[in-house]
Amino acid sequence: MNCGKYQSQFNDYLDGDLSPSERETLQYHLKECLPCYRKWGSLQKTHEILHQLPSLDPPEHLSAVVMARLKDSRFRQRFWYPANLPRWLPMGVGAALLLLISAALWQVMPSQYPWQSLFPSSRKNVATGPGFSEKPHESLTIRKRDSDSSAPVMVLRVKDFSRAAQELRSMLRSFARPPLPERQSPRSPHAGSARLFQLQIPGQRLPHLLRELHKIGHLDQGQVESQKLANPGQQEQVSIRIVVVSNGSDVEIRQLREGR
Amino acid sequence: MGTESLAQHSSGVKRQEEQLLVDRCRRGDRESFAQLMRLHEKKIYNFIYRMLGSEGEAEDLTQDIFIAAFRGIRSFRGEAKFSTWLYRIALNQARNRIKYLSRRNFFARQTRRADYGLNTGSESTEGLADSAPTPEQWTMAKDLAAQVQECLNQIPPQARQILVLRDVQGFSYDELSEMLSLKPGTVKSRLHRARASLRECLAGKFE
Repeated sequence: MNCGKYQSQFNDYLDGDLSPSERETLQYHLKECLPCYRKWGSLQKTHEILHQLPSLDPPEHLSAVVMARLKDSRFRQRFWYPANLPRWLPMGVGAALLLLISAALWQVMPSQYPWQSLFPSSRKNVATGPGFSEKPHESLTIRKRDSDSSAPVMVLRVKDFSRAAQELRSMLRSFARPPLPERQSPRSPHAGSARLFQLQIPGQRLPHLLRELHKIGHLDQGQVESQKLANPGQQEQVSIRIVVVSNGSDVEIRQLREGR
Repeated sequence: MGTESLAQHSSGVKRQEEQLLVDRCRRGDRESFAQLMRLHEKKIYNFIYRMLGSEGEAEDLTQDIFIAAFRGIRSFRGEAKFSTWLYRIALNQARNRIKYLSRRNFFARQTRRADYGLNTGSESTEGLADSAPTPEQWTMAKDLAAQVQECLNQIPPQARQILVLRDVQGFSYDELSEMLSLKPGTVKSRLHRARASLRECLAGKFE
């Protein structure tokens, strides 16, 4: 006898899903086989018991409590919010916007803000302007310390100081990000008449920089310490200080050159 | 009109009325929601009671289910029956509650507690004035219900839910497969295993 086959039909029999012939065969088997009959009997009884389990009445106050809880603001429906959108969406969009705004602010913030020095590595010190390679070792980099008084100084004399300083700043910015650190003359009688820019530049790019400086103002060649800038190595990094002055005050130039 | 077509017509009307109430609910009408709740609270309460085996827990969770339904009713598009959608919420909430209670050893403590469903049921006593059970029969029946609930608590929640929905609440395989997002064949095989588990548990108790 194949009891397994018949036992696998018990549930279909219980649900009334057996064909008449299958039902007849199973019924015949149950008359003949006591273990199957017992198993069937207990399954049938279990099914009956489940059907006969009493149905409970919910507490009378159930709906009143639910309605009272719904009046509580914590459980109010959000009618302002489209139902087919996920609940996390507003928070996600908010976080993304916050990130975007932070990134945008970071990009437009002037470099002289003191807290930027807390995150020196967060910006690329790589020149991106024309004539400069993307490779870090060839790039124009910014000197972190402004006390390098041994670096050669080029004096750029200009008529309109503020305009020239602006032009120079944007020109150097096109070479380097972030904007170069700059110092004002500490004892200038009229602030903004002299400004020092410090940078490092690959030797091979020096002529290009000089050409750009000539476009902005009169480059005082006498001040260029030619022995240091005459024949720099092609890959050698050259430190340069550029002083922009409007009236050529020697005192101011000296102060800036000496790092005071 | 035959009895069957009359029943179909009646269920169609019922569904239309229910959809009307749902539409009003979606516009924030609490009174319509109260009416919907009155239509379904007994079935949901009993389902949860059979899943958790405690009246107190069933009451709390039924409240939570209806509150969740009210808050989420705008996501109900009417593709399935409202009751199917409501049962899906109930199933999710019940699963979470069972996990929570299992971590606190609730079902072990619940064993042999004698409140398994014969202390309030109005249906069980209605209309039985002449054929009311004798005190002995009552005790036996109460004991049996308690044993069944104890066994229900012992079988896995997945098996329990399918057994309660099909054999206690009488849902069809199609309804079950929609509620549980399972193929009818899977529902059937799971139900078969669940019935076998319950049978074994009860057989162990009565031997």
